[in-house]
Amino acid sequence: MLNLLIPTLAFLFQEEAGRGRLSQTWDAAAHPDLAKFLVIGALLFIIGVAGVLTRRNIIVIFMSIELILNAANLNFIAFSRYLQEMGSVNAVAGQIFTVFVIVVAAAEAAIGLGIVIALYRNKETIWVDEIDLLKW
Amino acid sequence: MYKYIWLVPLLPLIGAAINGLLGRRFRFSEQLIGGIAVGSVALAFLISVAAVYSYGFGGHPHWPNAYLTSQDGFSFDWIPGGAVSVNHGTEAGRFALLNIEWSYQLDPLSSIFMLIVTGVGLCIFVFATGYMHGETGFYRFFAYMGLFMFAMLVLVMGSNFLMMFVGWEGVGLCSYLLIGYYFDKQEAANASRKAFITNRVGDFGFALAIFGIIATFGSAQYTEVFNQAKSYDIELLGHWGVLSWIALGLFIGACGKSAQLPLHVWLPDAMAGPTPVSALIHAATMVTAGLYMVTRTNVIFQHSQTMLLVVALVGAGTAIFAAIIGITQNDIKKVLAYSTVSQLGFMFMAAGVGAFVISIFHVMTHAFFKALMFLGAGSVIHGMHHEQDMRRMGGLKKYMPYTYWTFFAGWLAICGIIPFSGFWSKDEILWNAASTTYIPLGWLVWLIGTIAATCTAFYMTRLMAMTFWGKERFHEKPEHHEIHGDHGNAVHVPHESPRSMWVPLVVLAVLATIGGFIGIGAAFKPITGTDHPGGRLHIANWLRPVIWDPVTREFPTGGEHGLVAEHPAPATETAHAESHWFNLAHAVDNVVRDHWVTEVLFIIISLLVAGIGIGLGWLFYVKSPNLPGIWAQRLRPLYSASYNKFWVDEFYGWAITRRVMDAARGVYAFDSRLVDGIVNGLATLSRGVSRVVGGIDKYLVDGIVNAIAAFIKRLMSPLLRAAQTGFTQNYALVMVLGLMIAVALFFARDIATMLQKMFAS
Amino acid sequence: MRLSGYEALFFWIFALAAIFAGLLTVMARNAVHSALFLISSLVSVAALFVLAGAEFIAGVQVLVYVGGVMVLFLFVIMLVNVGAEERGRDEIFNKQKQVGASLIFCFLLVAGVLYAVSQGYKGMQARNPPNADAAVQQALRDRSLAVGATRSSRITLDTEKVGSSLYRYASLPFEIASILLLVAIIGSVMLARTLRQEVSADDVDPETLQEEKALDPELAKLEPKSD
Repeated sequence: MLNLLIPTLAFLFQEEAGRGRLSQTWDAAAHPDLAKFLVIGALLFIIGVAGVLTRRNIIVIFMSIELILNAANLNFIAFSRYLQEMGSVNAVAGQIFTVFVIVVAAAEAAIGLGIVIALYRNKETIWVDEIDLLKW
Repeated sequence: MYKYIWLVPLLPLIGAAINGLLGRRFRFSEQLIGGIAVGSVALAFLISVAAVYSYGFGGHPHWPNAYLTSQDGFSFDWIPGGAVSVNHGTEAGRFALLNIEWSYQLDPLSSIFMLIVTGVGLCIFVFATGYMHGETGFYRFFAYMGLFMFAMLVLVMGSNFLMMFVGWEGVGLCSYLLIGYYFDKQEAANASRKAFITNRVGDFGFALAIFGIIATFGSAQYTEVFNQAKSYDIELLGHWGVLSWIALGLFIGACGKSAQLPLHVWLPDAMAGPTPVSALIHAATMVTAGLYMVTRTNVIFQHSQTMLLVVALVGAGTAIFAAIIGITQNDIKKVLAYSTVSQLGFMFMAAGVGAFVISIFHVMTHAFFKALMFLGAGSVIHGMHHEQDMRRMGGLKKYMPYTYWTFFAGWLAICGIIPFSGFWSKDEILWNAASTTYIPLGWLVWLIGTIAATCTAFYMTRLMAMTFWGKERFHEKPEHHEIHGDHGNAVHVPHESPRSMWVPLVVLAVLATIGGFIGIGAAFKPITGTDHPGGRLHIANWLRPVIWDPVTREFPTGGEHGLVAEHPAPATETAHAESHWFNLAHAVDNVVRDHWVTEVLFIIISLLVAGIGIGLGWLFYVKSPNLPGIWAQRLRPLYSASYNKFWVDEFYGWAITRRVMDAARGVYAFDSRLVDGIVNGLATLSRGVSRVVGGIDKYLVDGIVNAIAAFIKRLMSPLLRAAQTGFTQNYALVMVLGLMIAVALFFARDIATMLQKMFAS
Repeated sequence: MRLSGYEALFFWIFALAAIFAGLLTVMARNAVHSALFLISSLVSVAALFVLAGAEFIAGVQVLVYVGGVMVLFLFVIMLVNVGAEERGRDEIFNKQKQVGASLIFCFLLVAGVLYAVSQGYKGMQARNPPNADAAVQQALRDRSLAVGATRSSRITLDTEKVGSSLYRYASLPFEIASILLLVAIIGSVMLARTLRQEVSADDVDPETLQEEKALDPELAKLEPKSD
C-alpha cells in the first residue's frame, strides 16, 4: 500500500536525482512554476465537477459550473505566461481565449438563469430532483 | 437593296404571328387583320421587286451569279454539322464538312418565284379580305396564309436543300391547315388529311434524295452540289447510276407536291377549302414547288436520261388523264382543279424534254391565268350565294360583268390563243416536245400534249358556256338535294362581288393578257429581230445561267449577247444515239426544208387544235345542248370512266387503305387476344402468388417477430427503464464517467506502463 | 515561469484561498453564502492571473465575472426565493448513491489529473529544458518597461499585447462573440417573460391564450388593441 502512496505523493514534487526530498519540496514550494498553476486549476475543476454532480439546488449547480470555467481559464493563463517565456510568438492567444471563455460564460449564465426563472415559474421548485419530467 | 431579301420571308411570318397570336385575344377587327396580312405581303412584294431589280438591272447587278445573303447579309449557322463521309459519286471515300446554314439565295430562278409568290399572293390576299368577310375564323385564315407565304418563300429562296425541305414541309402543313379550314365539315377534314398524307408519300422520296445528295456531294448547298454535279458523266438511257437514284427521289417528291400521277388524288379533294386557298396554294404556288425543285436541280436531271424520259411521260400521262376527267365534272372548282393537274402535267412535260426555262415560263403564265380563274370562280360562287354546281348557273354574264370579262381573258389564255400569255408558253412546250433531242419518244409527248390541249380548250369552253353564257338555270329547282338542301326553294339572284374582289381579278387579267410577252419564242424572229427579244427581260435570257448546258458542261454565264440555243444540243456522247430516235421536228424539217416554216407549222397546229376545242365546246354547250347527252350515251364507258375519275380513289381505297386497316385489325386482334391474354394471365398468377406470400408473412413471419419482441421486452424493459431516471445529475454523472473512459482510452498505453512501473518496483 | 519571493508567497495565499473558497461554495447550505464564496474564489483566481502576468484578464474577470455574472446570480437567488427553505430543514445534497458515485469518480479524476499534470510537465521539461537565461531575460524585459506615474510600478505591456492581438488576428471571433452576446440578451429576455408580458406583446398563440384567459380573466384587458 505504501508502495502506491509514496510514488503518488512524489508526483507533486517532481522527483529529481541528487537532492534531498525536503530541499526539493522547499524549492518547489518557494518557486512555484507552471505545474503548480495547473494543479490548482485541476483541483478547482474537480471541486466544480463534484458540485455539479452532488448538489440539489439548481443555482448552486450553476455556480459550480462557473468554477469549472474558471479553472479552465487559469489553465489558459498559466500556459500563456509559460509560452511567453519560452519565446513563442502566439503566447498571448491564451489570454485571448480566456476573454472568449468569459464572454461565453456570461452569456450562458444569463440564458441559463433565464431558463431557471421560467422553470421556477412553472414548477415552483429549485430542487433538481423534483424536475424529472424525462422519467421513462 | 438585294441585301434585304431576308425581310421577304420574315414579313409575312410576322404578320401571321401577329394575326394568329393576338388576333383573337385582342379581338382585332376584320380590317385590322386584313390590313396586317395584306400589308405584310405587299411590303414583301415591294422589297422583292426592288431586290430583283437591283439584282438584275441595278448599278452593279449580281446577275448572272447567284447572290447569297451569307456573303454580306443575313445568315446564321443553322446546323453546324460535323464530318460526313461521301460514299457515292466520283469522290467516294473523302470526308466533307457538313455545315448547313440558313441563308437566302437570290438568283434568276428564285427571283422569278419570289415575284410570282408575293405578287400573285398579294392579289389573292386582297381578294380573300373580301371573300372571307364574315367568317368567324377570319384571323385564323390570314394567320395560316401568312405562314404559308413564309414557308413558300423559304422554299424558293433557300440556299440549300434542307431549307427547301423545311419550306416543302411548311407548305404541306399550311395546305393541311387551310384545306381543313372548315374543320367542322367532315368532307374538308378528310380532304386535308388526304392531302397531307399523299404529300408525305412524296416527301419520303424527297428526303431520300436529300440523303443521297449529302452522301454523294458532301454538302447541301446548291452552289456546292451543282458545281460538283456538272463534272459527272451523263447517265444514258438504260444506265442507272447514283444521279438517277437522286433524280428519282426528287421526282417522287415533285409528284407528291405537284399532284402528278399517281399522287394526284389530293388536289381535286382539296377544293373543299376556301377558294382563295385553292387559288393561292393549289394553282399558283404550292403545286409549282415541284417544278421549282426540278428546275433547280436540272443539272442532276439532265445527267439522267432515263429520269428525263420518266418525267416527260408522267407529265404527259397526267396531262391527258386529268384533261379527260375535267370534261365531265360539274363542280366549277373541280373542273379548275383537274385543269391545274393537267397544266402541271404540261410543265413536267416541258421539264422532261429538257426545256426547263419553258416549264418555268408556263409556271408563271399558269399562275396568272389559273389564279385569275380560281378567283373568278370564287367570285361566281360568292355571287351565287355559295352555289358551286355549274348545272345551276348560266347566263351570269350580265350579272357579273367584271368577273365575266376577267374570266374571259383567263379562258383565252388557257386555251392558248395568241397573244394571250398561255399561248406563248404552251406553244413553246409543244414545240420543244416535238424537237427534243434529250429523250426519245418526243413525238409521243407532243401528240399527247396536243390532245390534252384540245381537251383543255374543250372543257374550259364548256365551263364558260355553262357558267356565263346561255340560259339562266339558277331559277330551276335542284334535281337532288345534294348540295343546297337547306336552301329549300329560295331563288337567289346573283350579284357582282365587291371591289376588294374584282380589283385583283382585273390585275390578274391584265397579267394574263400581257404576261406572255416576256417569252416570245424564236419563231417570231422575223418580227422581233432576235431569237429572244428583250435582252435580260426575256425569260430565256434571264434564266439561262441557271440551266446547265450539256454541250459546254457548264452553267452559261454570258450576258445579253449570249444566245440561248433554240433547242439545246445534247452532249456529244448522245450524238450517236440521236440518230436512233425519231425526232418529229427533224422529220418535218426534212420535208419542208426550212426550219422557220417548221416552227410556224407547229404554231399553226397548236392554234388549230385550240380552235377545234373551242369550237367543239361551243357546239356542245351553246349551239346544240342536247349533244353532250347523246355523246355521253355513245361513249358510255369512256364517259363513266371520266366521271368517276378513272376510279383511282376507289382503287387506292381498296388496295391501300383497306388493306392497311385489315392489317391493323389483325395486329389488334393478335395484341388483344394473345399478348393481352398473356399479360392478364401473368397478372392472375401474380395475384395468387401474392395471396400465398401474404399468408406466410402474416402468420409465420410476423409470428416470429412478435415472439422475439415480446421476449426482449420482458428481458430488457426493467433494465432500460431504470436508466431513464429523468434526473439531470444522473445524466451528468454518466457524462463524467464517459469522459473519464475516453481519456483513459486515449492514454491507454501510458497508463499501462505506469501501472507496470508501479507494481514492478 | 518561476515565481519567487513575494510572488511565491502571494501565489500560495491566493491558491489556497481559491481552493478553500471553491470547496465551501459547493458545501454551503445557504445559496447566498454559496454565491459569496464563489465571489471570493473568483477574486482569488483573478489575483492568480495577475501573478501570471495577465493583468488585463484579471481586470476583466473581476469586472465581468464578479461584477456582472455573480450579481446576476444574486438577483436570481432573490427571485426564486430559496432562503426560507434552506434554513435548516431541507437536504442540500443528493441521495447517497449519487453522491457516493460522484465522489468516487472525483477521486479518480483527481488522481488522473495530478498524474497527467506531473508527467506532462516532466515531458515538457525534458523537451524544453529551463534555462536560467530565461529568468534573466525576463528580468531585463521587466526593467525595460516604462515607469508608472507614481514611479512605484512599471506599466506592463500585457494589455497592449492583448489588444493588438484581439482586434487584429482575433477580430472575427470577437465579432462573433458580440453577436453571441446579442443573441444571449434576446434569448434571456424572451425566456424570462411572464405570461402577462407575453400577452401584452401579442406573443401568445390563440389556443393557449383562450386557456389562460379562462383561468385568469384579467388577461383580456392586457391584449393590445388590434387595428
